[in-house]
Amino acid sequence: MRSMMLAFTACCLLPFLPGCQSTVDTVENREKQMTPDQVDTSRVSTDAFLKGRLKIERVDRSEQPDGLLRVQVTARNVRSGFWSQVGSWFMGDNPYQIAYRFSWLDKDGMEVRTATQTWIPMSVDPGDTVRIRGISPNPRCKDFVLSLKENPVERN
Amino acid sequence: MKVTIASCVALLFGMVLFCGCGTPARRIDPTGTGGLTTVDDINFKDWQMAAEKGIVSLLESGVLERQDGRKMVLMISDVENRTTQHIDTRILTDKIRQAVLRSGKAVTTTAVGARGAEDKATRQLRQLEDDDMFDQSTVQKAGTAISPDMSLAGRIIQQRTTSGRTSESYFFIHMTLTDSKTGLGLWGDSVEIVKQGQRPLMGF
Repeated sequence: MRSMMLAFTACCLLPFLPGCQSTVDTVENREKQMTPDQVDTSRVSTDAFLKGRLKIERVDRSEQPDGLLRVQVTARNVRSGFWSQVGSWFMGDNPYQIAYRFSWLDKDGMEVRTATQTWIPMSVDPGDTVRIRGISPNPRCKDFVLSLKENPVERN
Repeated sequence: MKVTIASCVALLFGMVLFCGCGTPARRIDPTGTGGLTTVDDINFKDWQMAAEKGIVSLLESGVLERQDGRKMVLMISDVENRTTQHIDTRILTDKIRQAVLRSGKAVTTTAVGARGAEDKATRQLRQLEDDDMFDQSTVQKAGTAISPDMSLAGRIIQQRTTSGRTSESYFFIHMTLTDSKTGLGLWGDSVEIVKQGQRPLMGF
């Protein structure tokens, strides 16, 4: 009886399987040549769902010769297992829709306004790694804050 | 008779409900992710995304930096609209202009543009040379305005595709920065926006 129930459940889930599995596989060189300047980050997370789906892997910064500060935040959608995929499909989170916004601060901690201080939508496929890039509006900017949030407006 | 009265009451009730279904006007955050998304138009969030990507690319390129310490003078030229929509491309160019000014790397000229001067005052003020109402020592002289070193131009292309009830618009926004002296392109980048929507089975 139990095996019949399991078989029935499996049959019910089978049609959804091809639609659910849409993850990204990656391959890269193991011995890296790059020498990035990694930033120690402090993170305040108020959204447990976002924290469980998008993992911030590293934050790198570099200063251009003209004094502008470049920041690159590497994040990965970690919802790539079978059950995670079923859940993401059910919630309309495949691909996962996020939005980000950079804020720039000068040496006194005052915010420096940019011409486009706005939330930028972005989609992240399960298993995929994205690099969110920003550049300071002028050389006076010394620090940054990256804000991330789910973007339910773009949800499937 | 009873049926007629009941029908009228039901109709009236339905009309009241129908009239009450609208949403009152409200303000939304222009920096947020809300707002309308339509397939055939470039919505405000699309402009913001295109401007952000263009600005990051332009500032990263380092082309605005001069070795002699003088600031580059940038002219905002024409962004050609090759879409079927009426688009005011100044939404894009004004944001890029602001970003360039805020960077401190270059200045922009408003005395000359692809469709004439953006600010006609620069030329008009020089016509005061013959006007005895003004102290001539304060009147701007001819030959003092600075000609631009570079010009920013662009093009927006739209391609529409329809398959059954699904329609799709592909917008290709291309921007270039040209050296005025040599005519050579110093920087160029493009932003692609694809939007898709499905018509309902019934209605509009």
